[in-house]
Amino acid sequence: MRPTATAPAPHAGDGHRDEETAHRARPRGRRRRGAGFSDGRKLPVWQLLLRYALLLAVLALMIGPFLWQLSTSLKGPGEDIYSYPPQLLPEDWTWDAYSGVARIIPVWDYALNSLTVAVASVLTNLLGASLAGYALARLRFRGRKAALVVFVMAMLVPLESIIIAQFTLMRELGLNNTLTGVVLPGAVGAMNVLLMRNAFSHLPYEVEEAALVDGANVWQRFWRIALPSVKGTLAVVAIFAFMAAWDDFLWPLIVLSDPDNFTLTVGLNYLHGTFADNQRLVAAGTIIAVVPLIVMFACLQRYFFRGVSEGAVKG
Amino acid sequence: MRVSRPAFTTLACALFLSACSTGTQDVDTGSAEGRVHGSITFQTWNLRAAFPDYFEGLIAEFEKKHEGTHVKWVDQPAEAYPDKISADAAGGTLPDVVNVSPDLVAPLAKARLALDLDRAAPQYRERYLPAAWKSLQIPGMKGTYAFPWYLNTGPMFYNKRLFREAGLDPAKPPRSYDELFDAALTMAKRSDGRIATLAATPTIEDFGRYGVRLMNPKGTAFTFNEPKGVELLERYKELYDAGALDSQVLTATPEQAGRKFMQQSVAMNPGSALDLAKFKKDAPSLYRNIGVADAPNNTGRPNMYVQGLMVNAAGENKATAVAFARFVTNAKNQMDFAHETTVFPSTKGTLDDPYFTDDKDGDDETRIRVSSAKSLDKAVNYTPVLLSDDMKTVLQNAVARVMRGDTSPKAALDSAVEECNRLLKLN
Repeated sequence: MRPTATAPAPHAGDGHRDEETAHRARPRGRRRRGAGFSDGRKLPVWQLLLRYALLLAVLALMIGPFLWQLSTSLKGPGEDIYSYPPQLLPEDWTWDAYSGVARIIPVWDYALNSLTVAVASVLTNLLGASLAGYALARLRFRGRKAALVVFVMAMLVPLESIIIAQFTLMRELGLNNTLTGVVLPGAVGAMNVLLMRNAFSHLPYEVEEAALVDGANVWQRFWRIALPSVKGTLAVVAIFAFMAAWDDFLWPLIVLSDPDNFTLTVGLNYLHGTFADNQRLVAAGTIIAVVPLIVMFACLQRYFFRGVSEGAVKG
Repeated sequence: MRVSRPAFTTLACALFLSACSTGTQDVDTGSAEGRVHGSITFQTWNLRAAFPDYFEGLIAEFEKKHEGTHVKWVDQPAEAYPDKISADAAGGTLPDVVNVSPDLVAPLAKARLALDLDRAAPQYRERYLPAAWKSLQIPGMKGTYAFPWYLNTGPMFYNKRLFREAGLDPAKPPRSYDELFDAALTMAKRSDGRIATLAATPTIEDFGRYGVRLMNPKGTAFTFNEPKGVELLERYKELYDAGALDSQVLTATPEQAGRKFMQQSVAMNPGSALDLAKFKKDAPSLYRNIGVADAPNNTGRPNMYVQGLMVNAAGENKATAVAFARFVTNAKNQMDFAHETTVFPSTKGTLDDPYFTDDKDGDDETRIRVSSAKSLDKAVNYTPVLLSDDMKTVLQNAVARVMRGDTSPKAALDSAVEECNRLLKLN
């Protein structure tokens, strides 16, 4: 259904993009080895080396702090964790910090709360954003442009400026101190609606016209034709929604009062002691919080990159 | 996210005041009559993780003593606590007994949400240290708005090896600000600017300890732009230019400053008695060279931090709340808490206990505890109660501008004072 077979135009983008386009062109084929232009020309060796050197440098910059946290969380007592330059390999491996985290806070309960919130947020965002996005992209109605502007404007409002009003609203609804209250304000993100709208509006309209001629109504066109063509963007929305819900700190903190209902990010904050900080526990907590995100991304990675370019103009 | 914080807090305060000023006008902040009976909620600030047994025991004992009472304990994490409290105040969901610091109680008292203990429970006043009781009063308002709870003060740690290498006497740490500045300049010169002495820019406490008057007695205007304050900043600028302050000093949080000290690239850092155990565990090579001194001051009065327990004046069950807040802060229970961790009780006479006066056992922690307790005798809480978090940020930004050389100390402090006064009026 998607016009994937069209040959991508050769362009001098970075190696990563080239490879990605090559990958898209033959989804079932083997990933091409080495970097090169998509029309088959080979890169000069020095350029190749330079690219890899740069990529490695960025990699080190991105995952360096993460590795430091990982190594800190595994270091045994008596090891210098603040030595400079940092020593990444612990001499005395131990899982103590991880069991310490579980001893101090009910980390599994918090993780379950977080997971509930994140999964609910993913579902509501997928449903809400795709419905709204389809309406904005395909349906003709009065005030369509204005609605679009409202969504763009909504993205510009910082959460902090409306958080108290949001809280009083939740209180009026009797949803404060519930996980529903945590999910509700982020249930359909403006950004996700715009992503979906973009994806839908780039589908060739002729396909839907054909369906219309065959007698498909708008629900059938949405469900059978449009939605299956934007799986990539759906994956992007899913990841964004998951990440936003999983990482959010301020809103869950404000809306939840009872420590039993806390989400993981709020609960992990307890590891910062009032009188003394145990860096090992904090590091272990960080790793616990990040691992689900990594797993989620690893699972959806294939769709994710497809989705990122889906909204872009295609040949 | 971080950048918009001051703006947010201001807005939040404005919203929260407008939201509750309508609903709380008729709240009686001066009495807590009634029977000690029924249930209340008690909120602490990041204490559950470390001391669950202590608080559960405390609550069980209270419930046993007062038949028919039930205390529900909730604990909030360290971060964003002021935001949490202002949201709860606006939403009318503030717990009955709330753990507050003096700067948190000020907006709540103005919004008529804090019970005035001088009117509702004057009989307890004499049981607490005068300085601690006084620190929970708000300039420009009559009354005391929370029970004093635990106090904190801490020594200055210094790295003896770095002192020795710079040719300074490791047995004679600086005591006044002048000595501190001299030592810092020597350290920078001898190490070619490689070793900094401090990893933090001056905070409001430094201004206080330097002898600057911070606020007028009526609490209507800040005064830290007086000549003495300007002088302090000039001296700090001198240190910054000489490399005696850490290169990342302008953005450093206390946590990062502590880390620099543990990496031994900074020679002095304030801390608490608990830090020693941390050094022993996390930075053993520093621990072998650690020196402990009082934080330098020009006034003869060290700084202390106060935590208090506020009773929600709009609560349903104020009599029980007062009884419980008094119970948590009574001499015996504060003493027990001091045994749990390194905090100091705010009740009269408790600091005379041998636990705080006898350092014969030779333990590092005991030594620091005893010397800190001794310094509490004369300690005051320098931080003005009316100085909110966003005003602290205003001051911090002004200091940073001076360090970078963007503006003169005088001009920076003048504009900071003006901005703080504006924020003060806003509330």
